[in-house]
Amino acid sequence: MNTNSNLYTVIYTTLIVVVVAALLAFVSQSLKSRQDANEKAETISQMLTAAQYGSKAELDKLSNTQKLDKYAEEIEKAFVIDLEGNIVKELEGIEVYGPKPLKRQNYNIKGGANKTGEPELPVFIFKNGRTVVPIYGAGLWGPIWGYISFEADGMTMGGAYFDHESETAGLGAKIKDDPSFRAQFVGKTANFADANVIDLSKGGQIDAISGATMTSKGLDAAIDTWLAAYAKYFSKEEE
Amino acid sequence: MDAKLKETILNPIFKGNPITVLVLGICSSLAVTVTLKGALVMTLSVIVVCGISSLILSLLRNTIPGRVRIIVQLVVVAMMVILVDQVLKSFEATYAIDKQLSVYIGLIITNCIVMGRIEAFALGNKPWPSFLDGVANGAGYGLILIVVAFFRELLGSGTLFGIDILNRFGYVPNNLVILPPFALILLGCIVWVQRSIQKDLQEK
Repeated sequence: MNTNSNLYTVIYTTLIVVVVAALLAFVSQSLKSRQDANEKAETISQMLTAAQYGSKAELDKLSNTQKLDKYAEEIEKAFVIDLEGNIVKELEGIEVYGPKPLKRQNYNIKGGANKTGEPELPVFIFKNGRTVVPIYGAGLWGPIWGYISFEADGMTMGGAYFDHESETAGLGAKIKDDPSFRAQFVGKTANFADANVIDLSKGGQIDAISGATMTSKGLDAAIDTWLAAYAKYFSKEEE
Repeated sequence: MDAKLKETILNPIFKGNPITVLVLGICSSLAVTVTLKGALVMTLSVIVVCGISSLILSLLRNTIPGRVRIIVQLVVVAMMVILVDQVLKSFEATYAIDKQLSVYIGLIITNCIVMGRIEAFALGNKPWPSFLDGVANGAGYGLILIVVAFFRELLGSGTLFGIDILNRFGYVPNNLVILPPFALILLGCIVWVQRSIQKDLQEK
């Protein structure tokens, strides 16, 4: 058979791509539940890190079940609010917001063609008095997200943890890997009255990461967009 | 086992090591050698990707249209890389390491060793030798990775596999060792050692 004819080449490549795609789709579907369980435990450990229940390295030593148990033990209440700061629904059991649901809500906050409904903003209040809220946005190469905790006054930050999908290792990836970057958030005050809720820039309130301008800008925008959405909730808290 | 097959397996481990002799796969060997655990997982991933891709492509070698052979190789290697990544993400024990290695697992596809061995060996040899060649090259790559990671974790963090070794004696971890440039220095030293043992590698 002539393996160099055009027809053969087209049929061959089509066939191999279809077979590979089918195989990958099958594997991805069958492993999904396991991956989701791992992701959920990871999200919990990130929130617990933000709420200062230990460093990420310490929390990573726990198994998935231990992480879920710790969350169940330490959570005071968790609920979803709307943009006006009113509670829309309570979150029962262990329901957390990882990157996938956050992406959906990010579209809802920003509006536009991808909007699927009114924003549902999760709030997690832990027994140590800290309130954890998520943020989500675009980094340089892919999505970035994270969790910021606030003290009982609703203004002072108690801690933060950020994660990313594919930021540059050693530069943008420092939002996750560099504990001293995250430590800057502790004790700083968020200014909910301003559009620039937290000033993350070179030499600003939070010093941006040198060599990672786009990731830093993306993180700043993500924090400002999301915290502005929570502004009414936190100002209500103060009254 | 006949001599030729033995040569296929042993050559990439030392005499024709993909990193120190062929100087392939340098980039990832700088990036993933901060901890031994990461290096070990990377090693196993490359062995699996390299071995099975070589096997599949060797089985297909007489049917692949010459003009699109690189694309067919890419499709198969990419499939293996995604499979490895998906499996690593699925287990509790490997999930954290997969997160730590982040993009580097996906970047196995750009590791010249994989495509290099397929192009040079698998497309011209029977499936069984091709599989062994892939595995042996992955192992040769991994061997260097593990040697580099051993020194970097020991001197950079004072630990091995996360277990404290030096810190208890008051050792202060050296931050330079953690940074990629030190991996390159270490790699240079390994090449130096190999070249002084293997005289035939020295240029006249």
